[in-house]
Amino acid sequence: MEAFMARSENDSVLRVENIRKSFGDKEILKGLSLSVKKGEVKVIIGPSGGGKSTLLQCINFLVIPDEGEVWLEGEKINHGKKRELYAYRQQVGMIFQDFNLFDHLDALENVQIALVRVKKMDKAKARERASAELRRVGLAEHASQYPAELSGGQKQRVSIARALAMDPKVMLLDEPTSALDPELIGEVHAVIKDLVANGMTMLMATHQIGFASVLADEIIFMEDGTIVEQGPPTKILLDAECARTKEFCAKITHISGDS
Amino acid sequence: MPEGLVAVLNALPYVLKGSVVTIGVVVGAMGLGLSLGVPLAVGLVYGPTWLRKTIAFYVWFFRGVPLLVLLFLFYFGLFSLMGINFSAFSAGTIVLGLISAAYQSQIFRGAILSLPEGQLKAARALGMSDAKAIMFIILPQALRLSIPGWSNEYSIVLKDSAVTYALGVAEIMARTHFVASRTYQHLPLYIAAGIIYLLLTYIGVKGLRVLEKHVRIPGYSY
Repeated sequence: MEAFMARSENDSVLRVENIRKSFGDKEILKGLSLSVKKGEVKVIIGPSGGGKSTLLQCINFLVIPDEGEVWLEGEKINHGKKRELYAYRQQVGMIFQDFNLFDHLDALENVQIALVRVKKMDKAKARERASAELRRVGLAEHASQYPAELSGGQKQRVSIARALAMDPKVMLLDEPTSALDPELIGEVHAVIKDLVANGMTMLMATHQIGFASVLADEIIFMEDGTIVEQGPPTKILLDAECARTKEFCAKITHISGDS
Repeated sequence: MPEGLVAVLNALPYVLKGSVVTIGVVVGAMGLGLSLGVPLAVGLVYGPTWLRKTIAFYVWFFRGVPLLVLLFLFYFGLFSLMGINFSAFSAGTIVLGLISAAYQSQIFRGAILSLPEGQLKAARALGMSDAKAIMFIILPQALRLSIPGWSNEYSIVLKDSAVTYALGVAEIMARTHFVASRTYQHLPLYIAAGIIYLLLTYIGVKGLRVLEKHVRIPGYSY
């Protein structure tokens, strides 16, 4: 049994232990732990303000947690050491709700810049790689367009290409379609589905319950800074143990009407 | 031909040579102000408390003391105390540059703060150090946004450069005064000087407007 435990811990690409974060008097994360195995997709659902976004940002230290540990492939991350932090972040792809494309760079340059400036890749090579990633998300023809010239869905696909170019070991997606018009959500979902099909390890916060139920290996219901319940989609969505999870899932399924 | 016009035409080559000096002072001061103002702004936004306080003190000092006082303080006081023997031209340019740096730091600071927070976050998430993020993501955007404010600062420095006349810099104002005190044609000569300043303002502001359009981000409105 012990041997099995050790092995299963080593299997996890990303492991988060006892993360705590307060802003002023308000405790946003109350000692959260979770782990994601290679190729696994975990989806975090829960009401807004429940700490989903803060948790994802704590995982790559865009927000520094007050307490807790983060492990990537069995290595504990010491975020106080800048080099270690920068190297770690390169391996963790982050997708934001509002895209955060670099406004002064066109689509290709957005994907290319970290390859050149962070990975020190040769410019021509970086260009080639960036083009390939844009092709992968179906935006080859939009390479020379600037963020302000792209639709929300296109922007989010560029941001996914930008993250993919870094060859991340795990991707964190913070409500990737929440800022999109309903008719643009589909194109972003298609790209994410494609990533999952190719075995990408993912931790995603979303309100798109139908989408989550199709993709997720496990759904985590989070509220008030704690994990209320977690398990396979069918269990959480249809047969949750906790009354609060049931209530939330019933509401959100009713609203989105696409389970 | 009226006497005044003759005096202006006679003085024009001499005064126009002064405009070369004026441009020298303004370009030097704006350049110094830019190269100091950008790091000051970065320090104000991202620096530790002690640095922010030091820069705030610098800005407070150079914005608070009158230009003429600063020119005399540095030219006759501080520079000689430090054992540096600057020409009036260099001293005037440097002092104007130090003052402009204080004002420019506020222009750039405002521009940096106007950028969405997500820009820095996205850069950090890709593994960029803060220095790289500022250099390649923040400043290219902030500097574009700063051009209108910078253009305003240009017109102010141009006018302020006339005060270096008090140090004996042979710029437009000094030369005009020199000719006027000999020919007694004060009115036409100072009108001519005013027109030269207006033209220089117009050219500079127009040029910066062209630059602003040239570096505008496609599809981006601001």
